[in-house]
Amino acid sequence: MKKFAFFPGCVLEGSAKEALDATIKVAAALEIELVEIPGWTCCGASHVQDMDPMAALAINARNMALAEKMGLPILTVCNTCTLMLRQAKSALDGDDRLKEKVNRVIASGGYEYVGFSDITHLLWVLAEDTAFWQRRISRPLTGTKVAAYYGCHILRPQKIMNFEDSANPRSLETVIRAVGAEPVDFPDKLQCCGFHAFWTAEKDAVFLTGKHVDNAVKAGADMMATPCPLCQMQLDMYQPEGRQAVHSTAEIPVLHLAQLIGLGLGFSPAELGINRHVSAASKVMLNQ
Amino acid sequence: MPTMTFTIRRFVEAKSFSRDYSFEYMAGNTVLDGLIFIKEKLDPSLAFTASCRNGVCGACALRVNGQAVLACETAIESLAARYHSARLTIAPLGNFTVLRDLVVDWQPKLDRMKQVKPWLIPQDAFSADTGCRQSQTDFDKIRGYTDCILCGACVSECSKLAADSADFLEPFAFVKAQKYVADSRDDAPLKHLDPAIQAGLWRCMHCEECTAKCPKSLDPAEDIAKLRVMAFKKAMVNSAGAQHAQAFYEDINDIGRLNEAKLAIRTDGIMKSLTRVGLAYRLMKVDKLDPFHLPEPIKNISKVQKILKAAKEADKS
Repeated sequence: MKKFAFFPGCVLEGSAKEALDATIKVAAALEIELVEIPGWTCCGASHVQDMDPMAALAINARNMALAEKMGLPILTVCNTCTLMLRQAKSALDGDDRLKEKVNRVIASGGYEYVGFSDITHLLWVLAEDTAFWQRRISRPLTGTKVAAYYGCHILRPQKIMNFEDSANPRSLETVIRAVGAEPVDFPDKLQCCGFHAFWTAEKDAVFLTGKHVDNAVKAGADMMATPCPLCQMQLDMYQPEGRQAVHSTAEIPVLHLAQLIGLGLGFSPAELGINRHVSAASKVMLNQ
Repeated sequence: MPTMTFTIRRFVEAKSFSRDYSFEYMAGNTVLDGLIFIKEKLDPSLAFTASCRNGVCGACALRVNGQAVLACETAIESLAARYHSARLTIAPLGNFTVLRDLVVDWQPKLDRMKQVKPWLIPQDAFSADTGCRQSQTDFDKIRGYTDCILCGACVSECSKLAADSADFLEPFAFVKAQKYVADSRDDAPLKHLDPAIQAGLWRCMHCEECTAKCPKSLDPAEDIAKLRVMAFKKAMVNSAGAQHAQAFYEDINDIGRLNEAKLAIRTDGIMKSLTRVGLAYRLMKVDKLDPFHLPEPIKNISKVQKILKAAKEADKS
């Protein structure tokens, strides 16, 4: 039994609720115990540091301090949450004076950051040891071609994330194979979905969505899968605009990582919340 | 000795094509050694740029399997191990105009960089006699920036430039802007900051490609964040990007977590949000958006508020 302090992140409480449902079901089925960190806050979402870098550090020092009290490593299911937490940990662990300063800040709320809690992502837990869960795959996705879409913040910067080679990662393909499906290589798999600049560069974010979806379909994929709920939202919700931007007819389901595993575990698409997707949800229904 | 094949993307007189070159290599041979061997022994028509062979001049940056590297400091054996392959695709840097083969056109990039005035605007107190002195502490704040060798690796995989370069500067230009904004000797930080804002500061996609690719371990993504912090300090926040960051900060202060239902209005304002009615309907149809969902504050929100207040105070000290 693996046990983690679970950091769901904000979108899993809102527009990506299906990712939360799927994560909870899959974790239970794989005997991964997730204990939600009580009172966690938003990680800053790669925006707060633009306004107040000390605040961005402090809220994540508090989040990590909460997990330290639980005596558990943190597990997230969002690339950006993972990066924000790991970035804060790296800054604090690498600079004693900064750590002291931030500890004085969070002491105002009664917290202390020590630095012994690690931060991992569901993808990494599944990829580094497939043996403990692969035998539970009851309905392998044999013949399903899945385009692995990593998203930026689970890979870059290398020195912060450092689970694998950010220029040639294998974790997502490893998990796709373990669930019985076939990973499809496509040129966009390490590229950015544009989510974080949607409000300031909408035309470009939508163009990237269209391009990634179009290339995944051209590569022969039946679906895309991503470990990041933000990439999933961008690539799923904006496919109509994306198609228009790149003059394509490509439409493809984009699955959260937990949904992909869940299908292999025998959960129905509806149980995994795939009906809450905007694009091509029915194609997943038909294939099952 | 092991054999390597470079599949080189060639571009000659408006024609694009790929050509394979195979050669034997030894441990320690670099991509640049391979290119020099090809030019000297296999195909003198191949064009590439290189000078110092030591990671100092920045002339030899190119793409290997789609990722920017300095050819002179990247060992062939490490790439063969990285990709488990005896074949590598060599291409010119991305997001540049290619002149020939692996040679790209730097002139437009340097012209664009001038927008941020990448030079010191000295204070009146300085003179030719007394110089432009600064303290060691102030110098330490900017010394790392001189490591930028203008190799262009940060440009190659930049997501925003790949989508559209018309309204966004190259990452190294933002690094230069921050360098002079942070320089205590500079008299007019706004003369660097303002053009950086005009040239797309808030359009960066946070993809971290620039930081991942810098061979000198500079952090352009962090410099973009620092310029944005300065924009807040100077109250230059009349933009969707700044409003967006502020919305996250305020949500953390008010309830601890993001209030998605209000995000669009706070980022874009009511008028522009109204143009997104079609999207909102699309999301509501599949239960992805609930405009009436008002998240409750987390337990102990008052402690979070104290922390944010203390963070502000700490920033001043």
